[in-house]
Amino acid sequence: MAGNPRDKYCIVGVGETEYSRASGRTTRAMGAEAIRNAMNDAGLTPDDVDGMLSYHGGDSTPSTSIQYDLGIRPNFYMDCSGGGSSTEALVGLAIGAIEAGMCDVVAIFRSMNGYSNIRIGGTGARASAPIGGLDLMKRPYGLISAVQQFSYTFTRHMAEYGVKSEDLAAIKAAHSNHASNNPKALMKHRVTVDDVMNSRWIIRPVAHLLDCCLETDNATCVIVTSAERARDLKHKPIYVKGVQGRGTKPGGDFHYQHGPISRVAGHYVGPRVFDLAGVKHEDVDITGCYDAFTYTVLLQFEDYGWCEKGEGKDYVTSGIINLGGKRPNNLSGGHLCEGYTHGMNMVIENVRQLRGTVDDYCPGALEGDHTYDYSEGGCRQVQDAKISMNMGWGTPAVGSSLIMGNVLS
Amino acid sequence: MPNYNYRGITLSIPDNDSEYKGYFEAAGEGRLVVKKCSDCGLLRGEPGPGCPWCTSINWEWQQVSGKGTIYSYQVVAHTVIPSFRDLTPFAIVLVELDEQRGEPDEFDGLRITGNLVDADFNMEKEENVGIGKRVEVAFQPVEDGFMLPQWRLIDEPDQGFTWSHEAPEG
Repeated sequence: MAGNPRDKYCIVGVGETEYSRASGRTTRAMGAEAIRNAMNDAGLTPDDVDGMLSYHGGDSTPSTSIQYDLGIRPNFYMDCSGGGSSTEALVGLAIGAIEAGMCDVVAIFRSMNGYSNIRIGGTGARASAPIGGLDLMKRPYGLISAVQQFSYTFTRHMAEYGVKSEDLAAIKAAHSNHASNNPKALMKHRVTVDDVMNSRWIIRPVAHLLDCCLETDNATCVIVTSAERARDLKHKPIYVKGVQGRGTKPGGDFHYQHGPISRVAGHYVGPRVFDLAGVKHEDVDITGCYDAFTYTVLLQFEDYGWCEKGEGKDYVTSGIINLGGKRPNNLSGGHLCEGYTHGMNMVIENVRQLRGTVDDYCPGALEGDHTYDYSEGGCRQVQDAKISMNMGWGTPAVGSSLIMGNVLS
Repeated sequence: MPNYNYRGITLSIPDNDSEYKGYFEAAGEGRLVVKKCSDCGLLRGEPGPGCPWCTSINWEWQQVSGKGTIYSYQVVAHTVIPSFRDLTPFAIVLVELDEQRGEPDEFDGLRITGNLVDADFNMEKEENVGIGKRVEVAFQPVEDGFMLPQWRLIDEPDQGFTWSHEAPEG
């Protein structure tokens, strides 16, 4: 692989708006706030930021509007079509743009009124809109929402490998424990496996209501620049060790025509990102595994090689992914509990974890003064985390991954 | 083709729809078709414009037997489509056709989505859905000669890998 940029680029700023279900404002207003928060976090001014990247599904505001709101003049910008797994890939594109000399500092943002305006699930009037093309093969049969698009893979995996609803519920329970220590989380209360099992069914046999993430209004931002530049900024530089994606399975949108249907894109993305980063699984201290649904977490752990295929149910119920465990996952509560952001909040969380400045309930959290008391309403900062790995999910066929670290290799 | 209305959803199939128009024209005549590569001869389950195996963009429609096996499924307990609410719970099945199963590679097949319905095109009972069950296409009249391909259980032994979830009582 030519031009491996390991350790040459850093995430230097992170920021977000409130996670809510009634933002009461536009994606433009939220996007401006998130970028502003990330610039302030980094100690950068609008004159310093000369690159903008965003991703959207027709539900955001373009960079060229928000640049006005903050007085940024990009030398480079792109507003890309995309959802989950875009954050990680755009970190790679930002590096490419800087490497090409097109700009020096790139703000990557995602802004969405994902509950109060355009809901990912297609709920409401959108569900009855005229359809054509590929939707003709799905919508007349009642197949529309994201969990439905993924469920052929989920059901077949459940059948082949004996996954139980209880196994999936353990993921939600773990993430809710993490969210209970996150002042920002939309859903802060801890839930049990039984709570998930007793919530109403959405799609049998693969998803109860609490297996599904929280449609959310929010904007998020991460800022990428060179390691050289990062050394002069406010925080400890968080190095990009390796980034890969969006990579796909054979067949892409029609992956279910090929197989195995229970395999996901991580099978292809994983070996490449580990190779680029020069790390092994056992080097990774914390993970951010995309939790649009509990099942996406289990599948990705398997196909990124954290366990053998079919043993994801054991991995997620072993305690490894829990706060205090060997390699906790989605420490902010992720999409299941903190809020649905199409992946960026999990990258933001891992940046803060690696800095040691997680915004938990410890009085000195922002100065990195933590109690490491992981009981409810307490701390969620992992002690001495050095390497993180994000695994973004677009569909069973689409994924990206980002490995970061707080020391040079 | 004109627009059709099914359960409050407008189905738009313009004349330049080179992927799906022929599929639904055939369905309107009670025939299930897939695309066949005019060069390498392989069939494909998704009626796309190119051959995934030889890149040829020459194709023709080919009628298939309309029989197959449930490869995966989902039972919709809660739907976000208002006009489908009275149908829940209902099954959506991914059917693997009998033709070209396991070819050209082990995991390949011609797979098509539909609802599992009974003789009257009502939704089949949840306890009757399962991977490995044998099914046959049934064309559900919608309006003006437009028909929607659906799937019905047939009295043949289960085939290959079989599995079903435990449907809740009542």
